[in-house]
Formats: sequence, C-alpha cells, structure tokens
Amino acid sequence: MRLLWPIALITFKEGIRNRSIYGISLLALLMLVANFIVSDMMSQEVGKVAVDMALSAVSFSGLLLVLFVGINLMAKDLDRKTIYMVLAKPVSRAQYLMGKFLGVTLLIIACLTILSCFAAASLFLIKLGHPDYFQRFSWPLVCLSFSFITLMLILVAALSFLFASFTSTSFITFILTIISYIIGMALNDVKALVEAPQAVGITVSPVTVKVVQTAYYIFPNLSFFDIKTQAAHGLPVSPSYIIGVVGYGVVYITIVMTLAGLIFRKKEFP
Amino acid sequence: MIKFAGISKEFKEGVTARRVKALDNLSLEIGQGEIFGFLGPNGAGKSTAIKILLNLIYPDTGRATIKDMDVGDKNVRRFVGYLPENPYFYDYLTAEELLWFGGKASGMTKKEITERSGLLLDKVRLLEARKRPLRTYSKGMVQRAGLALALIHDPQVVILDEPMSGLDPIGRKMVGDIILELKGEGKTVFFSSHILSDVERFCDKVGIIVGGRLRLTGSVAELLKEGEMLEEVFLREVNAAGLKEVR
Repeated sequence: MRLLWPIALITFKEGIRNRSIYGISLLALLMLVANFIVSDMMSQEVGKVAVDMALSAVSFSGLLLVLFVGINLMAKDLDRKTIYMVLAKPVSRAQYLMGKFLGVTLLIIACLTILSCFAAASLFLIKLGHPDYFQRFSWPLVCLSFSFITLMLILVAALSFLFASFTSTSFITFILTIISYIIGMALNDVKALVEAPQAVGITVSPVTVKVVQTAYYIFPNLSFFDIKTQAAHGLPVSPSYIIGVVGYGVVYITIVMTLAGLIFRKKEFP
Repeated sequence: MIKFAGISKEFKEGVTARRVKALDNLSLEIGQGEIFGFLGPNGAGKSTAIKILLNLIYPDTGRATIKDMDVGDKNVRRFVGYLPENPYFYDYLTAEELLWFGGKASGMTKKEITERSGLLLDKVRLLEARKRPLRTYSKGMVQRAGLALALIHDPQVVILDEPMSGLDPIGRKMVGDIILELKGEGKTVFFSSHILSDVERFCDKVGIIVGGRLRLTGSVAELLKEGEMLEEVFLREVNAAGLKEVR
C-alpha cells in the first residue's frame, strides 16, 4: 500500500486536471438542464421521466469519463512510455497496475459523486415544481442506482486495464472496452431472446445459442447494475439483489485485475 | 557495480514477426565510481541494453546485475536513477509533484523529499517553474525535470540515455557539470550519447556497440593513446562492422 498510494495519487491528479473532465461535466450539466425542460413539457409521468433522465445523464457522462480519461491514464502511459518513470523506481509491474487502478477508481468515485450531486439537485428542483408526480419517488433507490452505476464503471475501467495489458495501442484498448460495454449491456436481453426465440416468432441456430451462452459467462453482465426502471417507478430492490450485484462486481473486478496483473508481469516495454 | 553477462536479445518486427537481433552476447562490467560512455550508431542496441538494466525488457539469454543483484529484483532500483531518452511525463503534474512521486516511490520521507527536491530543482534551474504543469515545459526543461527525477533518491548508479538530447548549450553544460559532480561523489554513471566530445570529456571508460555486438571497450586514455580522436576510433569500429543497422 505504501507504494500504491503515490501511484494512485499522481494518477488521480493527472485525471482530475485533464481538460476532458470539463467537457464531460459540461455535457452532464446540459443533460440535467434538458431534464428540467423535458419535465416541464411532460403532461404525465414527470417523476419517472426525470429520474430516468437524471440517471442516464450520470451513467453516460461516467462512461465518457472511463473511455476518454480513464483509458488514457493507463494506455497513454504505455503509448508515450511514461511508464518508464514509474518502473524505473522500486515498483513492481503488479504494484504499478494496482496503483493505477486505484487512482482511476478514486477518479471515477470523485467524478460520479459530483455528477450524482448535480443529478440529485435537478431531481430535487423538479420534485419541488411537480410534487404530485413524485408520490412513489425514493431517494434511497436513486442513491443506490448512483452507487451501482459507479461500481459498473469501475468494472468497465478494470476491463480497459485488462485490454491495455495485452494490446499495443490505446486505440485498440478503447475499441475493445466499448465492444465489451455494449455486449455487457445487451447480454441479458440477447440471452433471453435466443433461449426463447418462439416468443417473438424467430428461429435461432443451436450454434448461436451456444455462442451467446458462452459470452454470457465470459463478458460482464452490466445490465445487473442498471436499476433505472426500479428507481423511476419506485419499485423496491431486495437486499439479496444488492448483495448479489455488489458481490458480482467485486469478484469480476478481482478476476479481471488478477488476469491483467498476470499478463502485465510478462509484458516488455521496448 | 554493473555487469552484463552474455546478454542476447531479439525482437519480432512487422507483420511477419521477423526476428531481429538487438543484442548479441553482450558482456560488460562497469566498476564503482566509473563514468562509462556507451557509444553506437542509431539502432546499435544501446537503449536495449539500458532497458534490460532497468528490467523494462527481459534478456533472451544471459544475466544483468547491479551491485551483484539481479536486475529482475525491484529492490535494485533503490540504488538506480534513470533518465530515458526523450522522456515523457504526466502532462498535468508539476515538477514538484513529479519529484514527490519519485521520492515516495523510492521510500523517502516527506522531509527528505522537500529538502532534496529544492536542491535538485535549483540545480537544474527549474525552481521558479516548479509549480507549472509539465506540459507547459520546453523539451529541454522536461529533460532537466527528468534528470532531477533520476537523482531525487541520491542513487549510487545513474543511467542516462542520451542525456544531452534536446538541450541547448547551457543545458548541456549543466548536465555535464552534474555528471562531473556525480563522479566527484563516487557515483557510477552509465550513459549513452552521440556527442563524442562529451563522452571524451566526462568518461573514464567507453564501450562501442554496433549491430548489437560490443566492438570495443576500454579506458578513454587507452583508446586515444595513439593520438587518435574518439570520432576516428568510433567511425573505424562502425565501418569495420559494416554498419549493420539493428534496433
């Protein structure tokens, strides 16, 4: 930990001072302002739309943060050979990787906390203007949703570290991370579809079913972390689901980072 | 102090993964307190040898040690300071933060870091610019910040890859003075350079590497005893090797 902290801290500082953060924050603010406008235009279900939009704004901005800042913090070290300055110190490759990941995790938590506060403020103001539409509104559910989004983004960041450990450029890491995110978000629905194709009147080959089932166990199921619908409709989320999702996220991150560490240990930096 | 024993290294290049020999059975010893100049044309294998010393790449065969410890042991790097060729650092960090990191990663206390970084930033003439982000630095300033980072933990062995690259004459003199100062302190300095006059001026010992093979090694006095210039010796060795460009 003594060695991880300096690496984490410079990673965090480098990330938080990156100008891309301003752009992402501005986009998030615009989306939250749009939330006011859209809510005012709605004649019904204002509460549900407002919650859905606020959570989507935080989730989308967070994803941009991981893709455009988080990936660069790791992959650019390899592209630009900044890694030399770290590995020339008495730091092992595993410590470097864990320190960087800790720094990116701190960055995600700090930025998501700020974005969530803005989103919560927008919901609070819309709720003040339309109290009748917020009968089933629940702050704990909204906060839980923010926390799940944060955990999901940390998982996506861990995936980007795994990809950076074996790819040669930050661009390939970027592409692989986006693909994994898209697959992870759609996996649940696609699996349900290919396993019961008759429900929508289509036929699916057994090979496709096997491929999707295999992907289901390899790629992270990011839809587990998405409880926007429950938060928007004020539907309760069971404690066992919360424990399951947190456990799934932590175990997946641990496996991914262990794999990244094993690959990174052998990696050369010519 | 520094020892290469039968080091060979190949790289795969291009889509066909053609194997290219970067180092071929490199054996070399540098004693404590020596200033060693590593010379060679572009792609001769100088940086490859240095990266093996820093454990950034692994040798295919052979073993490299510093203070009799295998370079694969991260604790070796407690005694080593390294300045890469054309260093890149974090854009948004300041020189002060860069040195804080270097000190912390080397196990220094806050007090030691404050004292040492003030001294070094003054020495490399970055004291006034210490709170500016590194991305606002000129190439020469980045190089000087890198030199301060390499020296923050007062290492016994200093490895400099083309330390004069990108420096103006004043910067070159400053780096030269630091190398001479390190020599006065009994530190071991291993540096690669294209600037033969610098090598002639600072080094006790010189090695000439061409095409991944160490062609010649010896003290500067020995090599130049026939009244030859170092440039002549260098060109003769390069020509004798047929200037086989490797890496």
